[in-house]
Amino acid sequence: MSPEQKKFMKNIKINKIKIMFWQLFIIITFFLIWEILVNTGVLSAFIYSSPSRIIKTILDLIKDHNFFIHIYITLKEVLISFIIGTSLGFIIAIILYEFPFLAKVMDPFLTMLNSLPKVALGPLIIIICGANTKSIILMALLINLIVSIITIYNGFLQTDEYRLKLFKTMHANKRQILFNLVIPSSYQTIISSFKLGIAQTLIGVIMGEFLVSKQGIGYLIVYGKQVFNLHLVMSGIVLLALISYILYKLITILEKKLLKHI
Amino acid sequence: MNNIIKIDCLSKNYHTKEGEIEAIKDFNLEIKEGEIISLVGPSGCGKSTLLSLISGLDKEFKGNITFKDKLKMAYMLQSDALLPWLTIYENAILGLKINHDLTKENLEYVDYLLKLYNLEDFKNNYPKSLSGGMKQRLALIRTLAITPDILLLDEPFCALDQQARLLISDDVYQICKKEKKTVILVTHNIEEAITFSDRVIVLSKRPAMIKNIIPINMANNSSILERRKDSAYQTYFDMIWKDLEYES
Repeated sequence: MSPEQKKFMKNIKINKIKIMFWQLFIIITFFLIWEILVNTGVLSAFIYSSPSRIIKTILDLIKDHNFFIHIYITLKEVLISFIIGTSLGFIIAIILYEFPFLAKVMDPFLTMLNSLPKVALGPLIIIICGANTKSIILMALLINLIVSIITIYNGFLQTDEYRLKLFKTMHANKRQILFNLVIPSSYQTIISSFKLGIAQTLIGVIMGEFLVSKQGIGYLIVYGKQVFNLHLVMSGIVLLALISYILYKLITILEKKLLKHI
Repeated sequence: MNNIIKIDCLSKNYHTKEGEIEAIKDFNLEIKEGEIISLVGPSGCGKSTLLSLISGLDKEFKGNITFKDKLKMAYMLQSDALLPWLTIYENAILGLKINHDLTKENLEYVDYLLKLYNLEDFKNNYPKSLSGGMKQRLALIRTLAITPDILLLDEPFCALDQQARLLISDDVYQICKKEKKTVILVTHNIEEAITFSDRVIVLSKRPAMIKNIIPINMANNSSILERRKDSAYQTYFDMIWKDLEYES
């Protein structure tokens, strides 16, 4: 390795460290300032809580053996609706792609469902499914399904026309074109739809938990609000932020593995 | 030599919202076995449409196209159209896989081609690691792998830089001559048409009709570069240039 190349590689590393430093700096300063403002009485501890109080609340939750149950419940609901939503979305996208006439017919309905605020359906869902986990999962499903369908379907439509022509000149049948070309071409879009989907699912699950739940992080937040324990509300928000970041990161890892060569 | 393709009174119309477009009109041509012909003409004249009709991609036309029995055709496109998620080897055998034709003989031929074009060592790499010229070479291997009798080339070199273009068109030229393949090349490049083919067919603007057929005779046919040096080259160039001039 030439000295210039070494320097170049070193610069990349230094840059990475710099970015991490500033990310940590921002988060630590944010929590520090928050803590100081509350402790000096500038902000009310009752309303704004504080990082130390949040940590204490979370430790109490762990001590009461409730902490992991709430996280487990929320994660379970997220995963179930995410898996159902993306698989259904994937299948429906294939059907729309294979039957362009159907896709044209369905277009206005999909657009309508996409822009409809699904939370408006909340009361209806509760009446139909009852005040239980089913309602929460259905809520989240309605939110992520439409996005999955539209994203994946549009990905299929982006298939390179030269590659399509190539397959046709090879006399490939519809199934071969779908599995050997259209789906692999859309790996990138499918992963993007996962990223969108996981965020949408979290929104749906928390919304559902706000409406009906007896457990879960959404429940913690609503319960905290009802008893005016804002430390609990803040803890819920912090936990949610962590969970959504971790879920997103997991998909990014999957993306790196799947899209190594593209 | 026998005719391998005979085209009689071929006409093709396109239907669009704006109206009907005549793409090809009363087109007649006979192509002999082992012959390399080029179709040149103003852009948008219907050259590629002609290839689609010959290949059977497009089955709606008037007139007749007759082939010698059991012909295998292969297409090479302007874009290499490689699949980035497959290795170089998997790309090379794609056509064989689609046609369920992965016989030992065919796979050995692919190995031979990979060796011939110095791609053997990169077999398990992905297309991302190849240069533009190497990618088009791989596309050539994929095209040849199904051992076609006729190669339909739709401006396959036009996305390449000059050097790669000469090298790869020579590769194609050499192998087609050696294995006596019939080739129909669509191009807008006069130089390519002259150096590559036995006959140049000059087309009129839309609807495509044959304006002129120019047989190319050169003393030294050993390579594209040698043909380019031939004293007749300029004469042919001027003839085609003139024919096209009236069309633009």
